[in-house]
Amino acid sequence: MEDITLKIDGVNVTCPPGTSILDAAKAVGIKIPSLCSHPELTPIGACRLCLVEEASSGRVFASCVTPVAPEMVIVTDSDRVQRHRRNIVRLMMAEHPESCLVCSKGNRCELREIAAELGVGENKLYPMPNVKNFEQVNPFIVRDLAKCVLCGRCIRVDHELVVVGAIDYNLRGFECRPATLHDLPLEDSSCTFCGSCVSVCPTGALSTKTPEFVGTPEKESISICGFCGTGCSLMMGSVGEHVVEVNPSRISGSVNGATLCVRGHYGHDYLHSKVRLGSPLLRTGEEWKEITWDDALELAATKLREIKENYGPASLAFLGSSKCTNEENYLFQKMARVVLGTNNIDSGGYINGRLAVQAVWKRLGNTLFRKPLSTIGEADAILVLGADPTQSTPVAGYYIKRAAKNGLPLIEINPRKTGLSFLSSVRLEIKPNGDLAALAAILKYLVEKGWVDQGFISQSTSGFEPFSAKLLALDFGLLYKNAGIDARGIKQVCDLIKGKRISIVVGSGVLRQRIAVSIMNSIVDLALITGSMGERGGIYILAKDCNEMGAWDMGSAPDFLPGTVPVFDAQGRRRFERLWKAKLSPDPGLDVVRIIEEADKGRLKGLYIMGENPLRSLPDKELIKKGFEKLEFLIVQDILENETTQMAHLILPGAAAAEKEGSFTNMEGKIQSFEPVVAPPSGAMPDWDILDRLMALLGQPRRLGSISRIRREISQVVPGYGSLADGIGGWAGTGEVRGSVGPEAETIRIPFSEEILIGARPEDGSYPMWVVLGTSSFQMGCGTRIAKSRRITEYCPEGFAEVSVQDCDRLGLKHGDKIIIESKAGSVMKSVRVSTDQPEGVIFLPWGFDDNNATLLLGLAQFGGPNFEGWNSCRANIHKA
Amino acid sequence: MGKKTIDWERLGSIIEERKKEKWGLIPLLQEVQEEFGYIPPEGIKPIAEALGLYPSQVQGVITFYAGFALEPKGKYVIRVCRGTACHVKGGRSIFRYLKRELGLEEGQTSEDYRFTLETVACLGACFLAPTMMINRTYYGKLSPPKVSSVLAQYGKERMEDK
Ligand code: SF4
Ligand code: SF4
Ligand code: SF4
Ligand code: FES
Ligand code: FES
Repeated sequence: MEDITLKIDGVNVTCPPGTSILDAAKAVGIKIPSLCSHPELTPIGACRLCLVEEASSGRVFASCVTPVAPEMVIVTDSDRVQRHRRNIVRLMMAEHPESCLVCSKGNRCELREIAAELGVGENKLYPMPNVKNFEQVNPFIVRDLAKCVLCGRCIRVDHELVVVGAIDYNLRGFECRPATLHDLPLEDSSCTFCGSCVSVCPTGALSTKTPEFVGTPEKESISICGFCGTGCSLMMGSVGEHVVEVNPSRISGSVNGATLCVRGHYGHDYLHSKVRLGSPLLRTGEEWKEITWDDALELAATKLREIKENYGPASLAFLGSSKCTNEENYLFQKMARVVLGTNNIDSGGYINGRLAVQAVWKRLGNTLFRKPLSTIGEADAILVLGADPTQSTPVAGYYIKRAAKNGLPLIEINPRKTGLSFLSSVRLEIKPNGDLAALAAILKYLVEKGWVDQGFISQSTSGFEPFSAKLLALDFGLLYKNAGIDARGIKQVCDLIKGKRISIVVGSGVLRQRIAVSIMNSIVDLALITGSMGERGGIYILAKDCNEMGAWDMGSAPDFLPGTVPVFDAQGRRRFERLWKAKLSPDPGLDVVRIIEEADKGRLKGLYIMGENPLRSLPDKELIKKGFEKLEFLIVQDILENETTQMAHLILPGAAAAEKEGSFTNMEGKIQSFEPVVAPPSGAMPDWDILDRLMALLGQPRRLGSISRIRREISQVVPGYGSLADGIGGWAGTGEVRGSVGPEAETIRIPFSEEILIGARPEDGSYPMWVVLGTSSFQMGCGTRIAKSRRITEYCPEGFAEVSVQDCDRLGLKHGDKIIIESKAGSVMKSVRVSTDQPEGVIFLPWGFDDNNATLLLGLAQFGGPNFEGWNSCRANIHKA
Repeated sequence: MGKKTIDWERLGSIIEERKKEKWGLIPLLQEVQEEFGYIPPEGIKPIAEALGLYPSQVQGVITFYAGFALEPKGKYVIRVCRGTACHVKGGRSIFRYLKRELGLEEGQTSEDYRFTLETVACLGACFLAPTMMINRTYYGKLSPPKVSSVLAQYGKERMEDK
């Protein structure tokens, strides 16, 4: 349709049909007062402040809900309009309580701002303050609905963006307020405490509970959330060196827009925990002593050098962090590889299924499947496997929920119900670890019916014939049995995805599974068979940590260099040798598990851990302790006192994301840089600075000295990170060779899997139940940081086990009872939550709580190795404590 | 007041029936209201689930319309007019009289679920002021004796007779 031209306050404006007058005016810099409208929400015309007048007819209407029409002549500030606006504000003020002065919205209250702009002071109306309950029992949100102006923004955020539906208008007239179901407190509703409604509320009706502080922060700075791999953009308000408030940043094009989750919004108070590290500490026996940075770095350098000289580079190992920045991970692996000559470097992403993710890189090239989350909804259907994104990576989950709410078919393959299930079209309730068999059944069904994308297969893949022959030879009966499903479910799924391109979303329920690599290969096969690659559809991996992807891209892994170039790739290695002027080993180094095993065997002498807490995050703490005790020197660089720092010989206090400059790469492959919001605790130092200084002491010719110099080096050295040099970031892999595989790219053919596994294990009679491990939105990873958030721990102080109604009936359990869960590896005690989300025989246990003792149920074994049982689930037995 | 037991089966079949309609919420609620005399709060979740709505949304619709109630109402709902015309003609004393006769405050329902007493802004029959309505029947030009005789028709004896 043709653009429309109209006149606003004498200015000609041309815009597409359907644009609201409010937006059209904004586009030419004319500001119309507005309260209920919000750029990310459907306009509803509730407040009437945006009234404008049409010159010819004299009609007055709300500009946010009135689309432009040709030849319109609009006046935005006629006397009449102004009078109306002022009256509306006067009425609002008359209904408003008199606690304005101590309101925590302070100067950011939009009602106050508008009143000031319109010159409404004394309203000369009989004040009729609307008295409503003041609700502040939960540690996150204060609801003072007396101050509500019924703009409905909170309701629309909750319905349209967060897709929870915890609140809506209740009652009518003077009584009307946003309310939860049965008007209960938020904690008794479906509210997730994402706080998105708080951030959009124009008045003090909804505000963040900050007991230490009332009023407006002195300074607001933009940062990136340091929790999950979604990489939300934050606006952090600070007073002095204290972060007092977090809101979504208002940067356009951010992954989160106007939303956040409870962690990002309210969990950052861990920054000011009492156990922050503030000085280098040296341990002799049981004694800790504060030492100076000069002494600390000198000591670290000496010890690392000594160990290398005495025992060789293989006796040293480095454990980097998926929570540290790209710049830091780059330096850290360079220190390991170039300065000390070892490939013994890994990062925390190992336990989040690095090898499973690598399996996909091997077949697709490492950037192909990283796509913006906004493209999830562009496919014809969504398939979610082994994930509850509404808990693990909530803002990524909002994308899926929004797409499903708008009618996109959503299929879930999961042993239990998730926060997505109320929107799903089909749910395959598989047995735990039945994913592989379920996928095989889907593939077989599609091939049998001929519901495959022939065009894509013949142009862009290879090996389809033998692959389909193997599929056809499989026995459906066996597949159904291994998956714990029936023919009906598979038919439903296939009927739904027939001829469709699918967005396949994968979470740690798959990535941490015993046979994760095989499942990922089947997922690639499914993407190939349905042509879900390129423009529409694809594979989306939900990264658990803020910089899991970035740490890998920087080469924080024992078997690949930056840019995920394998160490055994002679050509790629030589390139790095040239750039770094050093000799590199072609042999993969030790991964996390091998590091621990080698320490225990006494062959590893020195270990440098940056930003990881293996004693909390990994199973088999006894073995780890034993191994670490045998080390000659253990350096731990971290921000909080934790289980692992206690074992260190030397502690180096680093800085949290909000306290330093750096960049993270999120699950979409978006590189996002940030600047410090506040200073680190006195005595602590940004991690990159520590590494840079230490590397100079270890004989690097010169210090890089600044983040921009490190970035410049990264952008020259790391394939796919060219855009980091400008300091803003961009998309990883722009210009990568294999980045454009699609129906049009004829040269590259992606092979189908050569073998099809359908893996299943015999039942184990002594452990008849399954424990499924997963994430709670009130936890993050192993919980080192979030357990130090006062708000989060106040709300959710201890863990729980969700047990099905049937099992509870059978065992005579009720809500709150204590149970012992026993596996082959160990046992834990948890309190019961009776749940209808899992079938009989399945228990859900969230990570992180109670010192992350869920790991007691698991064994430590190399990922994918013969003894590896998976870190997503285990067999168990339960009884009442 | 005894808690009303809910006929879940009946509720389920109404939901099932209306689920197929595109704009089924209001007719569904009307049918439930009609059938049960109110909308059982426990019914909100299943209704929302069936129609793909949020429970809070369904509640919002229920509490917006005066015709829907979340609490059980009496068999006979008495709505006394509080409009201007009725006020002038002594509507207030009619209301007071009703309260006394029934032993109910505004918005209350009798123990035996016989009567609910409510007020409305205007019944639209000002020429008959003062007015009231019982279920769907209008009563105008009210006086205390007339109110008593109307109530008697609905099975309420006068206080003194007890
Ligand atoms: S905090 Fe989030 S989930 Fe809760 S009502 Fe607000 S928007 Fe909805
Ligand atoms: S609580 Fe705030 S956002 Fe919600 S309707 Fe009231 S004023 Fe608007
Ligand atoms: S979704 Fe992830 S990145 Fe976003 S606020 Fe929550 S924890 Fe932070
Ligand atoms: S901004 Fe248009 S009616 Fe509120
Ligand atoms: S004022 Fe009572 S019916 Fe109109």
